[in-house]
Amino acid sequence: MFGELPKLTILVVFLILTLLYAIRFILRKEIPFVSYINYLWIYFLIFSVAEIFSFKIAVWILAILCFWSLREYFSLIDIRLQDRWGIIGAYLSIPFMIYYIQIDWYGMFIVSIPVYAFLMIPFLIAIGGKESKGIIFSTGAIDFGMFLFVYCLGHIGYLALYSRWMAIMLITNVVICDIITYFIQKKTIPVLKSIMLKYFISSPFTVLMTVLLSNWTTIPTGHSISLGLMIPVLIIIGNHTINYIKFDLGIDEKNMCPGRGAVIDNMKSIFYSAPVVFHYIRYFLK
Amino acid sequence: MRKLFQIFSLRIFIHLFILRPFVKLFFGINIQGRENISQLDRYIIVANHNSHLDILLLFCILPVKGILITHPVAAKEYFSKSKLSFYLINFLFSPVWIERGKPQERRDPLKDIKDRLEDRHNVIIFPEGTRGNPGEMKHFKSGIGRLAALYRDIPIVPVFLFGPERVLPKGSNIPLPLWNEVIIAPPHFYQGAHTEITHSLEKIINELEQSVKAFRHKRETVVKKSSITIAVLGIDGSGKSTLSRNLAQNLSVDGVSCLVSDALMFYENNQPKDMQPLITEKIREMIGGYAKKAKSLKFYKIPKLTELLLRDHLLDEIKRWYSTDFIILDGAPLLNLTAWTCLYKEQYFNKNTCSKAIRILTAKGEEFQKSDPIFKQFPELSSLKYLKLNHLKLPDVVIFLDVESAIACKRIDKRGEKKQVHETEEKLGKLREAYKLVCNVILEDWNIPTISIDGNKTVEDVVAETENYLKKFLKENADGK
Repeated sequence: MFGELPKLTILVVFLILTLLYAIRFILRKEIPFVSYINYLWIYFLIFSVAEIFSFKIAVWILAILCFWSLREYFSLIDIRLQDRWGIIGAYLSIPFMIYYIQIDWYGMFIVSIPVYAFLMIPFLIAIGGKESKGIIFSTGAIDFGMFLFVYCLGHIGYLALYSRWMAIMLITNVVICDIITYFIQKKTIPVLKSIMLKYFISSPFTVLMTVLLSNWTTIPTGHSISLGLMIPVLIIIGNHTINYIKFDLGIDEKNMCPGRGAVIDNMKSIFYSAPVVFHYIRYFLK
Repeated sequence: MRKLFQIFSLRIFIHLFILRPFVKLFFGINIQGRENISQLDRYIIVANHNSHLDILLLFCILPVKGILITHPVAAKEYFSKSKLSFYLINFLFSPVWIERGKPQERRDPLKDIKDRLEDRHNVIIFPEGTRGNPGEMKHFKSGIGRLAALYRDIPIVPVFLFGPERVLPKGSNIPLPLWNEVIIAPPHFYQGAHTEITHSLEKIINELEQSVKAFRHKRETVVKKSSITIAVLGIDGSGKSTLSRNLAQNLSVDGVSCLVSDALMFYENNQPKDMQPLITEKIREMIGGYAKKAKSLKFYKIPKLTELLLRDHLLDEIKRWYSTDFIILDGAPLLNLTAWTCLYKEQYFNKNTCSKAIRILTAKGEEFQKSDPIFKQFPELSSLKYLKLNHLKLPDVVIFLDVESAIACKRIDKRGEKKQVHETEEKLGKLREAYKLVCNVILEDWNIPTISIDGNKTVEDVVAETENYLKKFLKENADGK
């Protein structure tokens, strides 16, 4: 009975989130933060599919998530006509990376994008057109988007391959930090102070959460505490950075919709934390 | 019965369950103003034409009952190149074919369209004629105006498509998955001549385009504004911090102003503005704190010198990162540095050395040899030059607040804070003379506008006088450029 408990918890959370959707659909009532819950639902869909069916199917749902966020980023940046082949290359990097996660080929997963795709994309841009002006900026913009929205997000998949609960631990910490960030962001405080404030308010909760979950994540208590202290730093740094990028992309906070910043905005906290947490766990615990 | 059969036709099934989900999931489509078209039975859709994808996107916004009875207007000779694609397009969209480049037939080119409209069918028209260069809109052709003038009871729906010119531009075959925006304007009924109708439709779609493109990311680098540096000089207790704060606030009405005082502040529209922090600023604050705590002039020297140099470096960073319109300096680093030497090396301090020192500190005194007496008198200068720290900047305007040292001392007493080492009547008197001399040198040697203002007046008077002077200076500056 108790052996099944972790598995059941995932399903229950998933069902609750689905139920929220059903309520929204039937009663036609607007739930607050509906687009945020949307992405939470997708993460839990990935974990429940991995628990019930197989990880191989679940990781391809992550591919769709990567594709959506990358597509939104490319829709928002200013691209030249000559960059089209580079963008196709960036999209094609998703199935390759997901395949390496699926077959658990760590070495290839870790080099596929930072080595091969990074070298390939400037070449693809260069054969795309005769106009050479602006290629450096194009390369930078496309490579950066691919790195952040494909590679960093892909680490969640690999983390879930190690243990579902490690990935869920990360997601819960992200949720905690996002809630606290949301309330502090309303006030006008100098940047550094607000970052410190966010950290000191959220870190007790994240430490508590990681220690509470340490039975299921199978992370020793010492490492749980240090992860709980480390994760909010990464989340808050990532959150702040992506907010600045959002500003440059011309995302209007008031009328955000998918395609106009909603995807990036709802997932911004995960991009910085996922790779670092993954490598921490891999270095110390594997 | 026949109507029911039409609803369940293969074409509608393909549109609803294959094409629309595909467009939504693969490309992504945002539709604004769907309610403008969903209630209409008859309509003429007018849209800008950038790519082959346009027709597909426009069929996504149609109400279900309109799918079978809406016909895009397309050029026959372009699509009839391949038989399969011609058959597919004919089946899916059933266009009205227009044959271009056959003037000898001499028949009315709008006849087919008119026939469809007579049958209570609807049409989609791209008045630009052909797909233009990506992202550019051509002038509308007169056909749409003629049509609208004929059928004044049919509403015309202007639609702006944004995105297909990046998804599938002219000249490329592979569509990229990128989001598309479809903006539907409210339907219009037109009176008046056909040229007016064409112009007004073009105007509506142009306005939609401007509203969408306003917030888009553009790659062009920001053109840097040249900021005007205003230095406020004066001995401690002369009210220069108050004056500079007031100036920064008042000038911020015309643009962003930055106040470099004990703390770095930005103002916009009379309100303080939050900016990204600078590391140099944090270090400077720390060192400035050490200088204030110093017990004697000897210990005061090094932290103060460092603080002034950092303050000068800060000027560079502000110009580089924030490009503000005005920078108001509470004590210019270069001029303060020069004037302060009088407290340490009074015997050598005169107009000549002052002028030389400024030349060396602004890296313009290359003609001075190592054996020059100035380096013996002020060894700090040679070390600064050796360390390449002599790239200080001159301000554009200098405002000197002239206050007698006795009054300044009283004001400092009133603050009730712990006094700094140099805040005695004798030393402040010396400093005041030194500042006067520096201002003279600046005015004569460098032609920098300098004004000396009597600081014994009330704050409002001083601020008003300074502002008047600055306004004159700014006007001259703008005229000169």
